Amino acid sequence: MRILRIGPLGITTHRRTFAVGLAMAAALAALLVFALAQGQANITVLDSLKAAVGIPVGAPADFIVGQVRAPRALTAVVIGAMLGLSGAILQSLTRNPLASPDFIGISAGAGTGAVLTLWLVGASSLWVTAAGAVVGALVTAGLILALSWRRGIVPLRLILAGIGMGFVAQAATQYVLTRMEMHEAGNALGWLVGSVTGRTWTHVTVAALALGVLAPVVLWHARALRTMEMGDDAARALGIHVGRSRTVLALCSVLLAAAAVAVTGPIGFIALVAPAIALRLTRNAGVTLIPSALMGALLLLAADQVAQLMPTTVQLPVGIFTAAVGAPYLLWLVWRASRGGPA
Amino acid sequence: MTRLQTQGAVIGYGGTPIVHGVDVEVPDGRITAVVGPNGCGKSTLLRALVRLLPVSEGAVLLDGEDIHKVPTREVARRVGLLPQSPIAPAGITVKELVARGRTPHQKVLRPWSAADEMAVTSALHSTQLTSIQDAVVDELSGGQRQRAWIAMTLAQDTPLMILDEPTTYLDIAHQYDVMDLLHHLNTRQERTIVMVVHDLHQAARYAHHVIAMRDGVVAAAGSPSEVFTEELIREVFALEARVLTDPVTGTPMVVPAHGPGGAR
Ligand SMILES: Nc1ncnc2c1ncn2[C@@H]1O[C@H](COP(=O)(O)OP(=O)(O)O)[C@@H](O)[C@H]1O
Ligand SMILES: [Mg+2]
Repeated sequence: MRILRIGPLGITTHRRTFAVGLAMAAALAALLVFALAQGQANITVLDSLKAAVGIPVGAPADFIVGQVRAPRALTAVVIGAMLGLSGAILQSLTRNPLASPDFIGISAGAGTGAVLTLWLVGASSLWVTAAGAVVGALVTAGLILALSWRRGIVPLRLILAGIGMGFVAQAATQYVLTRMEMHEAGNALGWLVGSVTGRTWTHVTVAALALGVLAPVVLWHARALRTMEMGDDAARALGIHVGRSRTVLALCSVLLAAAAVAVTGPIGFIALVAPAIALRLTRNAGVTLIPSALMGALLLLAADQVAQLMPTTVQLPVGIFTAAVGAPYLLWLVWRASRGGPA
Repeated sequence: MTRLQTQGAVIGYGGTPIVHGVDVEVPDGRITAVVGPNGCGKSTLLRALVRLLPVSEGAVLLDGEDIHKVPTREVARRVGLLPQSPIAPAGITVKELVARGRTPHQKVLRPWSAADEMAVTSALHSTQLTSIQDAVVDELSGGQRQRAWIAMTLAQDTPLMILDEPTTYLDIAHQYDVMDLLHHLNTRQERTIVMVVHDLHQAARYAHHVIAMRDGVVAAAGSPSEVFTEELIREVFALEARVLTDPVTGTPMVVPAHGPGGAR
């Protein structure tokens, strides 16, 4: 273990983790430039960078990059990071790689909340939808906890209860869809697939705000999270406020997932896969937060780019694409667990 | 002298008392062994001593102060606990595990300090793990793994160390290994040690003070020769036994009074 100290903030990390984090950040920056410059309209890299940050460069670029590509790409980056972080927290708290907000029904609950809001209030503003998603996710999380509680959290019960709640939430969503007007239901359905197409700067703002508020809280509790991986008794004996830290972290994870669902609709598998890949790359013991967030951003942005390049007549929503790629990973996890490996 | 004691402490889980009003004193600079049958409340008592559990009546006093009034982090700088079944995060190395013992000495924005590094190095050295510090904990033998956990508690650098069944699941040679290590920490580093052990022979050899528990109460406390009597073994463990003298150390040695199959 070689420890690296970074400047006045006094953040300590392993050298390998730091190097992998830097590499991921560099890859993310490169991919972002690609996402801004690549497309049917012929715009130079320099012009697209300028247009993305609001420097006028002329007619097509100002709009295509400034109002279409940039908010879309940034939405993918921020939402990807939120999903990666949300999944990392849950996986660490439950010590189980199967735990992620999309797999244990949190995202589905957020979806129900959002669709219910759309039905009752109409598509008035993103903030209202986001509030609905947050309420839906919190209610679902509360129910999952109540169903699985046995003198404390029992990870496997929690995951099973979560999968069950996910189906209940999906059924509720579908019921609401049948009650909606045709065109409303069509819109809601499109959103429920999970996509970053047509996202605006408002979406970026909502997402960035949620990440900006929640990420510092999560990082503040990173040490507690890491220590709790050794069991409650060991963590308490090391001076960690276990109950309080766990509540705060679980709440942050749920809120991150809910905000992500509000902005893009439920996008599956990023939260499940990103922490696992980050772990493999950093070879860290236990879950790593920042690399998981970076990996989530990288994965979602890459998935959206690949989805755009697909030779289909209709543009593939990125949610369908992540599901197609993530499902085999999930099957592999379940297969490994069923063979008695670590679940 | 005692820095850690309980006064009429009633301890339990969610309203059900498990330990019923015990007075326990942990003598400073000594090794205390807690013995008693399974489920009699040893772990419950130990948890309360480190403030993992509240007391519903009575008190746990740390340096004369109600332990629940001492800040969490401060408790963790004075008393360390090795729980009965801690979990090693997948893929963690020995040194990383030991480093986690430094948690109560760190703050969110304070870097890993020279003192942290020194405590870890010294804990690895005392437990003879320096040469395998980069090995993955999951891949160690049972004895090495237990030493790694003890090293973690050691790195916490607390004058009081509490260990819940540090020798269970180890073969006999490794049990004595751990006992010798604890003895060493007690004599060379003047650490006060409280340990739960099941082997009465080991308890008598290594502990200066013995607390015998039964059904959530302290049945007897004192030196090994005071506590390990034939009446007390009968009372606490429901076992007819003879108490002999260990030919090597002169400490009491408890052997069952019946031969194989002879008790029923
Ligand atoms: N977390 C818990 N919640 C409720 N009861 C518990 C808990 N842990 C232990 N107990 C109960 O407390 C009693 C004493 O347990 P414990 O202190 O672990 O015994 P020992 O360590 O002496 O074997 C047992 O009957 C056990 O069932
Ligand atoms: Mg016990």
